[in-house]
Amino acid sequence: MSPKPYVLIVDDEPQFLRALATGIRGAGYEVDTAATATEALMKAGLRTPEAIILDLVLPDRSGAEVARELRLWTDVPIVVVSAVDEEQEKITALDAGADDYVTKPFAIGELLARLRAVLRRSGSASGEPVISIGELRIDLEKQSVTVGERLVRLTPHEFSLLSLLARNEGKLMTHKTILREVWGAAYQLESSYLHVYISQLRRKLEPDSAGPGYILTEPRAGYRLVAPASLENP
Amino acid sequence: MRHHPLQSVLRELLASAVAVAVTTAAIALIDGHVPVLALAVLYILPVLAVAFFFGSVWASATAVAGMLAFNFFFLPPIHTLTMQDSSNWFALGVFVVTAVVVGTLAARARQRAADAEQRERETALVADVATQLLRGMHLEGELERLASRAASTLGVSRARLVLDNGLATTDESPYALGENAGTLFVPAVEEPSASARHRLLPALGALLAVAREREQLARDALAAESLRRSDAAKTAVLRAVSHDFRTPLATIETALGALESREIELSSDDRAGLLDSIRLEHGRLKRLVEDLLDLSRLQADAAHPALELWPANALVEQALDAVHRRDRIEIVLAENLPVVRVDAVQIQRVLVNLLENALRVSPPGEPVTIRVNATRKELLIRVVDRGRGVPADQLERIFEPFHQLDSAGGAGLGLAIARGFATANGGRLWVESLSGQGASFALALPAIETPAEVLS
Repeated sequence: MSPKPYVLIVDDEPQFLRALATGIRGAGYEVDTAATATEALMKAGLRTPEAIILDLVLPDRSGAEVARELRLWTDVPIVVVSAVDEEQEKITALDAGADDYVTKPFAIGELLARLRAVLRRSGSASGEPVISIGELRIDLEKQSVTVGERLVRLTPHEFSLLSLLARNEGKLMTHKTILREVWGAAYQLESSYLHVYISQLRRKLEPDSAGPGYILTEPRAGYRLVAPASLENP
Repeated sequence: MRHHPLQSVLRELLASAVAVAVTTAAIALIDGHVPVLALAVLYILPVLAVAFFFGSVWASATAVAGMLAFNFFFLPPIHTLTMQDSSNWFALGVFVVTAVVVGTLAARARQRAADAEQRERETALVADVATQLLRGMHLEGELERLASRAASTLGVSRARLVLDNGLATTDESPYALGENAGTLFVPAVEEPSASARHRLLPALGALLAVAREREQLARDALAAESLRRSDAAKTAVLRAVSHDFRTPLATIETALGALESREIELSSDDRAGLLDSIRLEHGRLKRLVEDLLDLSRLQADAAHPALELWPANALVEQALDAVHRRDRIEIVLAENLPVVRVDAVQIQRVLVNLLENALRVSPPGEPVTIRVNATRKELLIRVVDRGRGVPADQLERIFEPFHQLDSAGGAGLGLAIARGFATANGGRLWVESLSGQGASFALALPAIETPAEVLS
């Protein structure tokens, strides 16, 4: 990673693009911009960015198509910028491989936080046998899970589900992606199936907590695993 | 045609009597050449004829009459109804029984044929109605024709068909066709045969009920369709408006966020750029809000133009003052232009909207022309662009609010507002275009007749 991470911003509204580029640049990133899907793919191909901020509606092709094309050759983190009435396009883009999203209009601080999160993930080495998130410890080799001192007993499917979310800590995982990874492609539309497993898993991990815990729900989109807010700054 | 019952009895009686008399005369001619008793069989002929035309009762009467006539004229003692040879009584008895049986059978066959014909007519009528129904006939328009077909099928002189309970006139009797199917009125003196009525009317009624239901469903479907279309239009409007509001808002929010954030360091050029973005987007929002207000005022007929007399070139001048790219606009003014009585601010909006639209659709570098001339009655201001033009099917639609010919900028309100203000000022606004060859928007305003006097 270069000292200044290189971010490519793709949006067809010139004023929005200018304001966003100025803000991101001011936050310490190197920024380039693209106003069309073609320009974005060309610029990303010439020099791979550390992250891409991608508008869903572009004059030539949709943002989801751009994400799908990028995923053919790069794992560069993609944060999708969507409007409230673009729910379906947003999910399509996430299924196509985008990492996260923000809804327009958004506070720039929120976008910067998402950007930091996706950059941290893509920089961190995965493949360690034990994942620790907050008090949660998942031993991928022994297939054991503990929260603090307490051993949590999970079924094999619950364990695969939890370890998938944990390996992608902080990343929004769509229903389709989770179902495909844990249960297989034949199940990728059975989201009610998933909701049942998630609620079982929550009960086992967070038996007493009423507020948000390790597993966060992104309505209609998917789930992400995070350290609970109360444990983030000990 | 049906006749008075007494008339028909007399007619049938007379015809039967004549048939017997003719047969008697015929036998009288042949008598002497063959044994007379064998000739009695000839009376079967009038019996058959009478059975065919008048039915079995008259046939039986004819058989008895024939037997009596034969006895009276040909069996000794002649001219009496007594007989020498009592065995002849037996022969005559056999003859009468045979004649009655044959007559009855003939009458019945005849009746069957008549019934079959009647049923065929009824079936044809029902089939006709069903066919019309399947073709989607318009029921109200067909009632008269159906009624006259029903009248001839039922054997009455005329009939009237209504789709509700209806009101009978004094000389009509009503026959209900069933629930929701209407009523058939026939003349009170002509009662249609009960069997035909019982077969035909329910079938007819059922078909009419289906036809009415079908028409009702078609009307409902039409209503639902237009409701759905207006819903779709509203959704499109909402989407367009929310997109047009959200885009500048998102820019403003992002720029403000960047200006306020502590984690973002900005040069003074960056700050100036962000403020510039905010100013531009603020202007965009302001125009959008003004446009929406104007549009709702126009749609509520609340534009209330403040009419004053204006010379044409003053209107053009003030429009040009309000347009950004005046250098791209070519002006062609005719001599001796009339004055018009308009609201100058509203006409300025019309012209500015037309000019900005023309600038937007013209290729960069191509000029836009504003050409002003007059007919005897009207001042004509044309704004001519060299853009892609307007397809023939869009010439009216582009004046509808939120209608965008392409996605190139604008909320699709400018032309709708221009048309609204033009109309509110007593003028007309239309577009002439050949697709692919640019467009000419024409504003016509009523000319005031004596400009020199009015202005002096």
